[in-house]
Amino acid sequence: MGNMTALHRWSIAAIVAIGLCILILNLAVGALKPAADIAWLDIAGEGGAALLSLMWTVFIFNSRPAGWVTRLLSGGLAFIFFSYWQDVLDEFIQLPAHVHWDHWVESGSMPLGMILLTLGIYHWHREQQAINRQLLKRERIFREHRSFDALTPLSDARYLREQLALELQHTQQPVSLIMIDLHCFDHSRRLLGSADGDRLLRELSELLVLNLRQKDLLCRYAGDRFAVVLPATERLIAENLGRELKQAADHFAFKTRRGETHRVTVHTGLAVSHHDSADSLIERANRCLLQSRSGQPQVA
Amino acid sequence: MNGYLADQAFIPAHHQPAVLIDLIHDQGIDLNRLLRHTGLFQEQILSGEARLSPHGWLQLIHNARRLLPDPELSFRYGQRLFPGHYGAISALLGNAGNLHDALQVFTGFSKLVFPLLGARLTVTDRHLCLHWLDSCGNGSEHRFVVEAAMAGLASVTRWLSGERLPWAFQFRHARPSYPEQYQVHLGDTLYFDGQLDAMILPRHYLESPWPGASTIAWRAAKQQCQPQLDPLAGGDSFRLYLYRQLLQNVASPPSLQQLANPLQCSPATLKRRLRDQGCHYQQLLDQARLHQAIHWLQFHGYSTEQVARQLNFTDSTNFRRSFKRWSGLTPAACQRALAATMGSLYPA
Repeated sequence: MGNMTALHRWSIAAIVAIGLCILILNLAVGALKPAADIAWLDIAGEGGAALLSLMWTVFIFNSRPAGWVTRLLSGGLAFIFFSYWQDVLDEFIQLPAHVHWDHWVESGSMPLGMILLTLGIYHWHREQQAINRQLLKRERIFREHRSFDALTPLSDARYLREQLALELQHTQQPVSLIMIDLHCFDHSRRLLGSADGDRLLRELSELLVLNLRQKDLLCRYAGDRFAVVLPATERLIAENLGRELKQAADHFAFKTRRGETHRVTVHTGLAVSHHDSADSLIERANRCLLQSRSGQPQVA
Repeated sequence: MNGYLADQAFIPAHHQPAVLIDLIHDQGIDLNRLLRHTGLFQEQILSGEARLSPHGWLQLIHNARRLLPDPELSFRYGQRLFPGHYGAISALLGNAGNLHDALQVFTGFSKLVFPLLGARLTVTDRHLCLHWLDSCGNGSEHRFVVEAAMAGLASVTRWLSGERLPWAFQFRHARPSYPEQYQVHLGDTLYFDGQLDAMILPRHYLESPWPGASTIAWRAAKQQCQPQLDPLAGGDSFRLYLYRQLLQNVASPPSLQQLANPLQCSPATLKRRLRDQGCHYQQLLDQARLHQAIHWLQFHGYSTEQVARQLNFTDSTNFRRSFKRWSGLTPAACQRALAATMGSLYPA
């Protein structure tokens, strides 16, 4: 039994206690029937029904948190169980003719249980509808926030701008942004073919992720350009990380479909925030990238 | 008919349209949904028999954008387009000996290389400008088509020349919400909200020889391509043919009647045919006059008064009013914007 059952300790105890009470009352008032009078077929049928209704109650307890709907469902099933339980006891114990409460237990608790169960199922249905609505909303929010790129398992430039804007709100700590692009990817893609070209970008993105810290974010900016957001990172550390990413990419031996090795080189551009907006930081990192591409010394 | 029409099915579906189909298919998207309302079927494309009209191709683009709403799609499509495997026209483009040869393919053979857009090349002492023109009424897909064409030309000229050509890009549309795609796929010299969809380059790139081209193959391919063109309209669409008629005589433009005469149809028929191509006479005329005015202002350094005289306006007030109607700007404001563009493009 899972944790759910623990939530319903008292309810289970109550059902067991009431079941025992019914047994004790029967034994106290009535007398055991002789073995010859016992109809075993009835006992098998009624006992089986009692056992099954008890099992359903346990299943309900096991799968549901406490609450109004759970109480209705388990209460209904419990009354059905009591009805069958009295029925089973009737087969063993002969009650005196003046005793009527056994009929009340047997015939009264069945319709009561059925009504409670029906109410429970109805509210369960309503509850499920509410949950569906809730899930849908969460999913939509989720999708709105994480805009996945079509090609790589990364987020796109819009998500980059959103996240960068969030990080830049913490003005006391600098945010670094590294832009990375491949050397002559246009040429590579024509040599490799589109399928391998796309796969190269996907595999490179995985390689870059492996070289990042837990708090960093890698996005695909566009085409063969990637962006790395380094929250709360000083220039010195960011330069180091940029170098590590470059080294990792330089050692990447991409394999084409024909099994040939295609080596890549990357350029990086770094910008560290001082009173920047997301757009101006991106622009500075891009400018730095272009400078490093044209072989000039890097200035951010 | 002179020049191809928007609903004329002549584009082999396994040529340029198939590049988009492949691209969408690579993303694991159901092809039946992509081909919806295009009149195409998968088997038909594979047999090489299917022909698509420009409108069918635009429908395909529309479906692709809906199924894969990724701003990068047009650029990736463009980069896969050229030189392509489209028979003689691909051989012609692939064997271009220099940029001028390559651009001729787009200005003179648009029916074969990229029927959705025509192109006009202007060369001055300092610049060359390739102006892209709507061939068939691209409507809401025009931006996608322009993005694809520009990404395609930038990519193929880079591939064939072996160097990154420093193109400057001018767009009629506003700066999009995804500027990064333009920046990475095209370059950093971008001007939005302009009057033309154009690509500009310093003139000296035009004649500098490209490696790997074969003159014989180029000539043979040209021989093969010529018969596929129209005797009157050449590689242009019907709409573009008429536009060029107006452009060539922009000072005293032919009337609707005069345009109809060589086509041996009545002005009413011509009017109806133009409507089918998503335009009308006055619109084409205004476009031709605006484009010519912009060219004179931007690349030839004419003054507003000179442009007014060249276009046969009796007084400059009249010209200013007309120009405002065509472009939404006064000639002076437009000239200032153009001067700023050209100045920052190639600082003296």
